[in-house]
Amino acid sequence: MKCEWVKDNVLLYVYNELPDDARYELEQHLARCPGCTAELKATRKFHAVLSELPVEEPSPNLLTASRMRLEEALETTQPGGFWRRLAFDPGAWLRQIQLAPALAAVLVILGFAGGIGTSYKLMSNSGNLESLVPRTAPAPSESSITAIRSISQVAGSNTVSIQYDTVSTQQAQGSLNDQRIQQLLLFAARNNYNSGVRMDSVDLLTQHPNDTQVREALIWALRYDSNPGVRLKALDGLVAYVKSDPRVRDALLEALMDDSNLGVRAEALHLLEPVRADSSVRAVLVKLAENDENAYIKSQARSVLAQLPEFD
Amino acid sequence: MPADAWSLTFTVGKDSPQGARRDEEAGGTQDHPSWGLMAGHSLGRIDDTLLVREAQRGNRAAFEELVRQYDQAVLRLAIHLTGSEHEAQDIYQDAFLKAYKSVGNFRFECSFYTWIYRIVTNLCLDHLRKKQVRKEEAPIATDPDGEAYDVLEQVADGRAGANPERDLMRRELAGRISRALEKLTPRERMVFELKHYHGLKLRTVGEVLHTTEETAKNTLFRANQKLRSALADMR
Repeated sequence: MKCEWVKDNVLLYVYNELPDDARYELEQHLARCPGCTAELKATRKFHAVLSELPVEEPSPNLLTASRMRLEEALETTQPGGFWRRLAFDPGAWLRQIQLAPALAAVLVILGFAGGIGTSYKLMSNSGNLESLVPRTAPAPSESSITAIRSISQVAGSNTVSIQYDTVSTQQAQGSLNDQRIQQLLLFAARNNYNSGVRMDSVDLLTQHPNDTQVREALIWALRYDSNPGVRLKALDGLVAYVKSDPRVRDALLEALMDDSNLGVRAEALHLLEPVRADSSVRAVLVKLAENDENAYIKSQARSVLAQLPEFD
Repeated sequence: MPADAWSLTFTVGKDSPQGARRDEEAGGTQDHPSWGLMAGHSLGRIDDTLLVREAQRGNRAAFEELVRQYDQAVLRLAIHLTGSEHEAQDIYQDAFLKAYKSVGNFRFECSFYTWIYRIVTNLCLDHLRKKQVRKEEAPIATDPDGEAYDVLEQVADGRAGANPERDLMRRELAGRISRALEKLTPRERMVFELKHYHGLKLRTVGEVLHTTEETAKNTLFRANQKLRSALADMR
């Protein structure tokens, strides 16, 4: 009877998993039982065989290589549960956003969730952002801290002094003629990660494209925005200046030739019609009519060219 | 830059993080290879908690320190299980990236040690399952004895030396053991690997595999049984 129990538990014994009392009893039994002792021996032998597939320590090279590879990947990865805890890595965030110098005094991300949510009262006749005055003094909360500036201990005491920066979500209201509003729109058009917000800002900016800065922002959006809807909106805003501004015309030509989205290309082609007689436009149209991969663009280019009076 | 700067004061005492850190430094670091539990683990736990909290706040340096505490063990496990340095590296990378991405979800319901081992074990299980499928699909060549040829990705045998016959025999033995291990189900293989080759307590093995110690024990018995019969003729 006992032998059965011992044989069932000899494996655990070898692995040192038996509670102390069981271990004691088993050892006592082994001292008197050659059969069970043989079983123990066989088990131990079997385990020795298994160690012919030994566990090797990873070589220092392998370890280092693995660590380096991991570090590279970590640089481009966001730690998780991150946004939920609303902790903030200001360094990484700032790297993603190019701050226009004029807007450096105020950090506003339209649509950003989290932050103190203090609202500021605007000075209506002042365009100077520095004159914004906080209505209430917000209490610090972990979710809104962007950086710890300094930590110091008051000498000879238990008191520690910490200076830290916070980010707060603010709101600006004003007409489109308001320079401040325009600046925020310009900022948003380039820097917001939310394409809907970018679209809204481009949309509003298109109402004032006579401002050079605005026109530049629209051209930039047409060239570089990742969202085709935003690019189309930008085209809308630029149309009135195709004839008068060569930069706009060039931007449209670029879009016509290189944009990845067919709708944007077709719209650009359509908007270039008023200047189809222009030599650079004509050259592009000729090339497209001959070589373009897309049948629609090809045929459209041809029909626009057909409308041109023949020179020479 | 940002609009507001605030001052905050609080007191420093022996229960503060600073106090705990000083204790840890006195306890020394663990560079020697360990079996399962890291030496000085109880001190290591205090450290882990701080590091984990820091990592959860997005402190990458803290996370990297955590990695350094566990990555040798992880690599050791992965290399022995897969038999391939290349695959082991992939598991290493996947495991720690996964840990990094979900460290915010860690709620201290178990030790960080268990949590990391869980992630690695799951990846290992995936590896084993994939291998099983591949084995069933691939045609197997057999040698004159009817044994399947196995192109083993050799784990470097540091003891290779002056006796080529013995080395050959050793390699053959290793191959047979490998093949016997492959006969186990992924879970059996995993339990056996963790218990036999890496010295984890059965209780920990249970935790890592989200099961009870009793279940882990029974799985271990089954694995042991299968291996004994597969390798019955070995002296």
